[in-house]
Amino acid sequence: MNFSAEIEFFANRARMAAPRVAGLAKMSDPTPSVSAQASSPLLEVKNLRVSFFTRDGVVGAVQNVSFAIGRGRTLALVGESGCGKSVTASSLLRLVQPPGRIIGGRILLRSRREGEIDIAHLDEKSGLLFKVRGGLVSMIFQEPMTALSPVHTVGSQVDEAILVHQDVSPAAARRLTLDMLQRVGIADATQRYHQYPHELSGGLRQRVVIAMALVCRPELLIADEPTTALDVTIQAQILGLIRTLQREIGFAVLLITHDFGVVAQMADDVAVMRHGEIVERGTVRGVLKNPEQAYTRTLLDALPSRRYAARAALMRRVDGE
Amino acid sequence: MSEPLLSVRGLTKHFPLYAPGVRRRVAGVSKAVDDVSFELAPGESLGLVGESGSGKTTTARCILRAMDPTAGEVLFRLPDGRRVDLAVLSSRELKPVRQHAQMIFQDPFSSLNPRMTVRDIVGEPLVIHRLARGAELDARVSEILQRVGLKPEHRSRYPHAFSGGQRQRIGIARALIMRPSLIVCDEATSALDVSVQAQVLDLLQELQREFRLTYLFVTHNLDVVRGFCDRVAVMRKGRIVELASTAEIFSAPQHPYTKILLSAVPSPDPDLPMNFNIGEELARLDAMTS
Repeated sequence: MNFSAEIEFFANRARMAAPRVAGLAKMSDPTPSVSAQASSPLLEVKNLRVSFFTRDGVVGAVQNVSFAIGRGRTLALVGESGCGKSVTASSLLRLVQPPGRIIGGRILLRSRREGEIDIAHLDEKSGLLFKVRGGLVSMIFQEPMTALSPVHTVGSQVDEAILVHQDVSPAAARRLTLDMLQRVGIADATQRYHQYPHELSGGLRQRVVIAMALVCRPELLIADEPTTALDVTIQAQILGLIRTLQREIGFAVLLITHDFGVVAQMADDVAVMRHGEIVERGTVRGVLKNPEQAYTRTLLDALPSRRYAARAALMRRVDGE
Repeated sequence: MSEPLLSVRGLTKHFPLYAPGVRRRVAGVSKAVDDVSFELAPGESLGLVGESGSGKTTTARCILRAMDPTAGEVLFRLPDGRRVDLAVLSSRELKPVRQHAQMIFQDPFSSLNPRMTVRDIVGEPLVIHRLARGAELDARVSEILQRVGLKPEHRSRYPHAFSGGQRQRIGIARALIMRPSLIVCDEATSALDVSVQAQVLDLLQELQREFRLTYLFVTHNLDVVRGFCDRVAVMRKGRIVELASTAEIFSAPQHPYTKILLSAVPSPDPDLPMNFNIGEELARLDAMTS
């Protein structure tokens, strides 16, 4: 392994963290100036509210959630299951299933290609929403098997993603697909193109899903627990792949996870969610090293490695007596 | 060291590989478990870690005879001091032995029958082994439910009414009601959130002290092993590549595979970078060993 390059990379990342803090302070300003152009973030979610209208009453799954993601940056949204992080993610693509509904707030996407779009207020049948879904913003899911059709070859599924969003011939789409499959690290892409999802391992399937998500060069990638179902060695490769492609293509990432390890290694900023609200946010370094909220501390202390450290310290104290 | 509760010697499990075609001609074998040996002391927790496909679950299943091993010995010490070889016992001989070795499964959703109440699920082992019935059965179910942090009045509910963590507690109660000496946990906390996982691990550790349980803890999560196990066996491709105390594995891993595995764990400390180049390093390791 090239260690000095690795060290330099992390040093660079640390240096880059400084202006990021300033950007975050601006983000938390309740009334950001509308005139901010070049420096304004790619995605700005303001006071998003999503409720589920069930027979037994209204459940506020997302309550006044605001956050922003800059171009090429990674924001991690962490929390326990049921905290509303996945509902937040699906509302960015307007995929909240009934009886759920977005009842308030704005989702501003400042696209390079299409200008400023308020996703929350797009018409369900508008062409722009169609472009947003899979074109400007794409999503990868936890379980790659459910994201892929079992009765189509993986190649044709990636082709389809191209053909619905770009005006190219099927032959050109196929060339793009093969190129993308190679870029996500699938060695024998021409052979894999004709295979079905069940013929691939979990890691390869997730690579196909990533290829499908990135083939239209989205400006934002939503990754909902992308590696939770994978082994630690496969997880490392998939996370590394997302980072490499992020640097090459330049998309921003909204990373939904409950794993603080993944947060620490992947994200620039982090927002901690609980009961539908963001309880703490800041830079990864700031939040993970010096959490301000008791809830964040509790979550961090639940990590097995932290518990191990606490127990080891206790044992040392007992031994010392 | 006291006499081991379980000693596994040369455990091997081969699966046949069939040639394509309708005749199902056996073209070779897949060595899922290949000459695995280790010992478990009473009251100890041994972690069995590895990637999917490394043979860790097959090893666990062969030990409990959910599968028949191809070769090897699984010597298990019964509470009365007798030693039996689980690998060769007939199914009739196995039945009385089974109450002393129980399993907790990974998926709390598929390991509980949705059409049985909690009382039936947790009490079923006692019914099968004819150890209790009627009011006594009810009393023992209530007692064990309380012990694992559930309420006795949950007895008449069905699994769907419980959260993932609660379901895993039901699975623990079902294993524990037999008062076993050995519990095999197959990815027992992998499907749970970090905070719920912490609670279940705490519970397992309390129960271990209280009932002097011995755990074989099968998992792919090195982080869990670190806080939970006394010793760790790292498996790869059906073999144990390294077996040492938890402290040694984490502070001074000897085998290159263990080192790679450890470097792939994302640390919650942003100053400890993880290794993203696992693929290349594993390929290099394979090239070296073959």
